[in-house]
Amino acid sequence: MRIASQDGGKSRRARRSEPVILFSVAHQMFAISADSVQEIRSTDSMAGAANEIEQPLLEKVRHTIDRAHRKYYVVNACTHFNLPVTRPTLVLILRQLRVAVLVDKIERMAEISAVHTLPLAFIGDERRWYRGLAYVEDHVIPVIEPAGFLTREEFKALERVTKSSESQREMEGAVQA
Amino acid sequence: MTAPETPDRSSFVLLQVGERRFALPSEIVSELAPPVRLHTFPHTSALVAGVIVRRGHAVPVYDVAPTLLGKDSPTHRFYLIAQRAFGKTSEAGAIPLNGECELATAEVQPPDPGRPAYISGSLKIGKETVELLDFEALVAQQSADTVDASHVEAQS
Repeated sequence: MRIASQDGGKSRRARRSEPVILFSVAHQMFAISADSVQEIRSTDSMAGAANEIEQPLLEKVRHTIDRAHRKYYVVNACTHFNLPVTRPTLVLILRQLRVAVLVDKIERMAEISAVHTLPLAFIGDERRWYRGLAYVEDHVIPVIEPAGFLTREEFKALERVTKSSESQREMEGAVQA
Repeated sequence: MTAPETPDRSSFVLLQVGERRFALPSEIVSELAPPVRLHTFPHTSALVAGVIVRRGHAVPVYDVAPTLLGKDSPTHRFYLIAQRAFGKTSEAGAIPLNGECELATAEVQPPDPGRPAYISGSLKIGKETVELLDFEALVAQQSADTVDASHVEAQS
């Protein structure tokens, strides 16, 4: 009879930790997987690259930025989460989605061992906003679902509006020339 | 020999919400928790105040006072953890209380006519009549109230 060593058991039980960025918006802390963020820039450094949407379709998206020939929609996290509006200082440029998020500040990096399912009592938009909850020290922090910043429908509508205003601008330019 | 007929007496947890006492069936109550930290984060589920952590799990906290008392609850001294059914599964939920709980055995009487749907009956405890809560209906009532309020707000 073989008795499994305790070390072997421990290693099987060991969970893979996930690096996250802890950021805050209107004094509320959130976590986002570090893998889903491509770049963090100050709003000042992005000012030149930002284009205002002339007739904003969504209150939370008022600007676009162009990065590597791709158009990113800038989502104001305060408006997205129905929080009091602050003056954001940083932009999180997401990796897999053409979305950039305005936030107040980066708190720090952290490792989380698990993302706990959002309780079923939560029945609203938060089910789309969050992957779940993480316990970081004594805090319960919602873990962002990056795809929750813009629904597919919102994304398509924004694409339509920005393309139509771009073609209008091009036509106006051609007429002036 | 036949057993003597006895009235159907079940056990209930009597809980203090504001200045009133209510009852919940003891079989849905898991524990009485101390006033641990309430964690809040943005969400749109109006009846949920936040979560507390019990035994490594996030337990949603239902603020039932506005429905039961018509006003916000005073300082919370305890959380009563009860099970709520979600289809075939169940989930623990916490109700903030401002007094201790008591276990009682009593016979359930039908609710007074005109009482809300979340009052499923009443218990005679000594000289006191304590209303029995239907946890599911209470939570559903709060959701409906919230939808109604937002609808009125949107129309005004």
